[in-house]
Amino acid sequence: MEEKEGLKEQTLRVRPIKRGAEKKYRDYPTVLDKSTEAHEFWEPIVHQGLWDIKGHKIVKGPWGGGSVEDAKKRPPREFMVIDRASFALYSHSYGLVSPFFRGLLEGKLMGTKCPECGTVYCPPRAHCWNPECRVADCYDNWMNLPLTGIIHTFTVQCLAAAPFEHMLPFSMGYVQVDGADTTLPTLLHMRPREIFIGKKVKFEFVPEEKRKGDLMDVYAVPAILDEKAPEWACLQKDAEQMKVLEDSIKATQEFIKKRYGIDNSPEERGW
Amino acid sequence: MNRRVAICGGGIFRPDLWHGENAEEGVAIAYKGLLKQCPNLRADDIDGLVMSYFSDHLNQQLCMGWIIQDYLGLHAKPGYRVESGGATSLDALINAYYLIQSGFYDVILIPGWEYMCEVDVASTNEMIASAADTDWDFPVGGYYNAYYASLEVRHMQLYGETCEDLGRIAVKNHNNSTHIPWSQWLSQHGPEPITLEDYWKSRMVSWPYRVLNNAVMSEGACCILMAAEEKVKKFTDTPMWITGVGIGTDSMRPGDRTANFVYEGFKDEAAIYPDFVKSIKTPYPEMANFASLHIAAKRAYAQAGITNPMKEVDLMELFTPYDGVELCLYEDTGLCGRGEGKNVVREGTAEYGGECPVNLSGGLTATGHPVGATSLYYTTFLHWQLTGKVKDFCGPDGLQVDDAKRAVITGHGGTGCQGAVVVYEGD
Ligand SMILES: [Zn+2]
Repeated sequence: MEEKEGLKEQTLRVRPIKRGAEKKYRDYPTVLDKSTEAHEFWEPIVHQGLWDIKGHKIVKGPWGGGSVEDAKKRPPREFMVIDRASFALYSHSYGLVSPFFRGLLEGKLMGTKCPECGTVYCPPRAHCWNPECRVADCYDNWMNLPLTGIIHTFTVQCLAAAPFEHMLPFSMGYVQVDGADTTLPTLLHMRPREIFIGKKVKFEFVPEEKRKGDLMDVYAVPAILDEKAPEWACLQKDAEQMKVLEDSIKATQEFIKKRYGIDNSPEERGW
Repeated sequence: MNRRVAICGGGIFRPDLWHGENAEEGVAIAYKGLLKQCPNLRADDIDGLVMSYFSDHLNQQLCMGWIIQDYLGLHAKPGYRVESGGATSLDALINAYYLIQSGFYDVILIPGWEYMCEVDVASTNEMIASAADTDWDFPVGGYYNAYYASLEVRHMQLYGETCEDLGRIAVKNHNNSTHIPWSQWLSQHGPEPITLEDYWKSRMVSWPYRVLNNAVMSEGACCILMAAEEKVKKFTDTPMWITGVGIGTDSMRPGDRTANFVYEGFKDEAAIYPDFVKSIKTPYPEMANFASLHIAAKRAYAQAGITNPMKEVDLMELFTPYDGVELCLYEDTGLCGRGEGKNVVREGTAEYGGECPVNLSGGLTATGHPVGATSLYYTTFLHWQLTGKVKDFCGPDGLQVDDAKRAVITGHGGTGCQGAVVVYEGD
């Protein structure tokens, strides 16, 4: 008989805590504060959750050294496995390239240009990495870049890490913004049938009230409507691959619907 | 000072999806295995330790190295950790080599381990992806499989390999893995070989990669003993010598490699761009190949006197968390020219019995990948190869390369941000 120990129903008992002023910014004016609410919400959870054991189980499993066969031959042993939670809220500065992220909030894509070698960086660099330029300052040399670019490479994801799983399936890639020399990690809002290296895209932004100041605020859509992938395109040239991928995408949509109750079918999300 | 340095032995605590034993107990089991191989080894012989483990947050434990030294009763010794993402374990080994070769120490123990399955898989992927730039790469998908898939798509578009080529690599490595008695694939799926048919049926992860193309999550440990030539005899009659080492690095964000000035000197090796692809500021290695590995291989080969790896190396253990990496590394380690990786697959050159077998151990996608132990496992495997002992350890079905004299191993961190290459030779 399998014992189900430690699986009592749990609720997160959050004790409200009184926040003091943040000492580290004491001597520096906060020009804009959109994080008070986040701290008030998260800090009690952080203080409650850290290192708290939420439950345990006893697992009877193989043990000891040697080969797979050796381990499976021994009578199994019982191990106690605890569940311990941890959270944290990180307050992280975007540094000298902060203007890029403030630009995202305003629906702009910005890059920096090296005053020495002329390289245009998007993602921006505050200092040039070209060894010839001897760490030249680029942080006062911002450019507004056009909201157009070219797909440098891409993938179509049917699996993702925890924070992004609910968005599946989706496509990400690296886009060279027109005028920039480096490429920007970008979500590609377009059907896999249309994606190819060299495709011209436009950048669009999520609605202003939903922008948070990271690369999830911006995404790329096709610059040319109903553009067919050229016959050399590595994904579409193999019709069978394309079909397998489309089946996988459908299965992924169903998985997400089941797991999160979210409908990510193209009709629902609009691409 | 210039003296020879050898691998004397390696003890293994096998990789698997889950172990009841915790990390220090796993390392102790691996250490015990090493003591069995080197019965004359006494704690007094060990001058220092280099600890190899990648993550702190996968186990919520900082300074795990102290636990390990203490647990093995070696806490009076000098010791420290080496960490460089996926390259951690090979970089730890190279650091131990520097310490011995320079004359500072004579004998070093390298314990390596990783416990990757304490949080759920999606969270493990999230924590691993925080080895990517968290301001720039992480927020877009947050998943190494996706970064590597997009690198592979670039290579595929430039050079024309197909999904079937990636499938053939997966089939080769999984079937090699069934010959390894401590393999994770064997533990989880049994000894039946797989076919391309199975590959086509395996779940899509991030196009073009399927489940069978991707490294497994593992828990496991390995301990390696390294010594200067004057001390080797006490520990083993069959050492494996390190005759070349190289480390290379590349940009943190793969997207920046289109304007990658430090590799401008490689212009002569630039990709030949098909006319439909826009050319970029620095065409080598851009996002298609791994310059860190290429330069690490050049450094290691120069030291070992290798000019034609295909002819002069008997087998390779390439660090391939994704099968496209194996195909690219055929090129970057010089087994073939740029863009010719697909031919190595199609001609069977890297299969058992081929001119230069690659990943006879089964590698990261099948046999196991507990990061801090990974390259120590495959070093141990090469030790058996170069001393003709594969069948002693793996049984009559072991894939021994006859008269193997020289082998190459690579380590690989981030999206090729870190690359390590070591050349091994038999006695
Ligand atoms: Zn510059």
